[in-house]
Amino acid sequence: MKTWPILAAGVATALAVPAIAQDGYVIQLLNIAILNAIVVLGLNFVTGWAGQINFGQAAFYGLGAYTTAIATKSGLPWITTPFLSAVVVIAASLALGLPTMRLRTYYLAMTTIGFGEIIRLIIVHWEPVTGGTSGLRAIPGISIFGFGPQGQVQHYYLLIATLLLAVAIATRVRDSVLGRAMIATRDSEIAAEQSGVDTTKTKLVAFMIGAVYAGLAGCLYASSIRFISPDSFSGTQAILLMTMLIVGGMGSIAGCVIGAVALTILPEALRFLGQWYLVLYGLGVIAVIVLAPGGLASLASQLQLRRAGAR
Amino acid sequence: MGQLVVNGLALGSIYALVALGLLLIFNTVQIVNFAQGQLLMLGAFIGISCAVTHELPVIASWAITMVAMALVGIVFMVLVYFPLRGRPAFLVILTTIAMGIVLENLALIIWGPLPVSLPSPIHGPPLRFAGIVISMHQLFIFATLAVILLLQFFFLTRTRFGILMQATAQDLHTARLVGIPVNRTVAVAFAFGAVLSGIAGLLVAPIFLAEPTMGGSLGLKGFVVSVIGGFGNLPGAVIGGLFLGLVETFGARYISSNFRDAYAFIVMIAVLIAWPRGLFGEKSSEKV
Repeated sequence: MKTWPILAAGVATALAVPAIAQDGYVIQLLNIAILNAIVVLGLNFVTGWAGQINFGQAAFYGLGAYTTAIATKSGLPWITTPFLSAVVVIAASLALGLPTMRLRTYYLAMTTIGFGEIIRLIIVHWEPVTGGTSGLRAIPGISIFGFGPQGQVQHYYLLIATLLLAVAIATRVRDSVLGRAMIATRDSEIAAEQSGVDTTKTKLVAFMIGAVYAGLAGCLYASSIRFISPDSFSGTQAILLMTMLIVGGMGSIAGCVIGAVALTILPEALRFLGQWYLVLYGLGVIAVIVLAPGGLASLASQLQLRRAGAR
Repeated sequence: MGQLVVNGLALGSIYALVALGLLLIFNTVQIVNFAQGQLLMLGAFIGISCAVTHELPVIASWAITMVAMALVGIVFMVLVYFPLRGRPAFLVILTTIAMGIVLENLALIIWGPLPVSLPSPIHGPPLRFAGIVISMHQLFIFATLAVILLLQFFFLTRTRFGILMQATAQDLHTARLVGIPVNRTVAVAFAFGAVLSGIAGLLVAPIFLAEPTMGGSLGLKGFVVSVIGGFGNLPGAVIGGLFLGLVETFGARYISSNFRDAYAFIVMIAVLIAWPRGLFGEKSSEKV
């Protein structure tokens, strides 16, 4: 397979970035991009492979972040927070997924939007605990028995390592029985059922894995950015995560990373456009869906096919 | 208590109107338009531009808004529906959401972020009886909903074009085979759907203020109402709308006004778990 050299080149570039970009702002932006990439990888299990639309991913991201922030601020050691975050999002994903995984398209879209909105309203109005609209500040950083990354560059390397782990797990799942069951469910639920796949269970498991990805990314978000507010996990963010997946390329692991990084950096790079950026963003999403339904990842593979044909 | 019922029904009538516009499009092409709320917002702002900025008379403002919205509906169809015919539903969901983002931010650029008010088309002292106050605008909302419901029913079942539209809804390909001008029928559905949400916008703006971000939650409420009523079921949507208006008004008064926007989703999720096809049954089921 030819993916190894590309992967190696990608990782090498990623590792070299802090040496080139000394700017703290750029590193911070990249840190957020990597966290978004992990969340989008999680979304890919549900939407990209199992074929179920999910606008609740930002809420799981937020649940992980708030669980971590509240736990560490009340004095619990950091090492407990990934587990706490995972437990909270698994519980939430079961609460949402068990009754709704039989629903289809529009109904599922609406229930997950509703779930996100309810979580957001709870965060905004439960002020003594969540800090309301102003959010939580001065969240304790990552610390494992006294050791933890210092400064943005060290956080960057830690997050890159986490992203690689997330990619590795996603690849393993894709090539496993579970991953094939998810993809079969997406392609045809009836045919999958006939082949002995429990589609409801498969969808629920995909949903839970996706939620855990988002929850753990939220945990790292809270303790590496160290400030959270409800805006970072709103319905707008849920739509943005979905567009990252679509623009990058649904079902493609590389596409998830490309889409997340591109759509996190683009608004900052195009800041001079002001309000027009969002107009162009909307039109751009429509253009990608209409013209390149497989996203940016499919453009790359089409190019490869064409080159192979020329040879 | 009685006052809350009146207020709830007025709010619910607006939700019902949004749902009627949504269902006119859905029943014809099986597409749920997640930008319906932004179309409503656009209607409100076009009305404000006519009636407030240019001080046109009420009838002229309403007429201009409705014509403009019909055109918007057709442009919307060309941009969002045509390129995606026969593609998976969630791609269509995303393009309509993206179109909503485009409309919302264009409105922010054109009209600015500040809330604006639109005066009610009719004036007069409110009606009072048994301690309940019904404003003229609330009466106007009820009357508009009733008229539109009757007109829509008459149009869909008694006119040639309405029957063509129903035939297109049942099976687009067969409709084309038997010579129904499908594209024109679909265009009319989108134009009417947009006009209905424009009217809802003109009715909402005098109650709440109009602002570019007002569309999102109203559009979702229209969807919730359609789900409660059984998707595609017009009378169901109206009853669902009135019901949701009451739930929100009473919930805000007796439970918590902070969670006002959550009640719609809680009711919808509860309905979907108990009756996956809505309270009054779905009109058309999914095709295999």
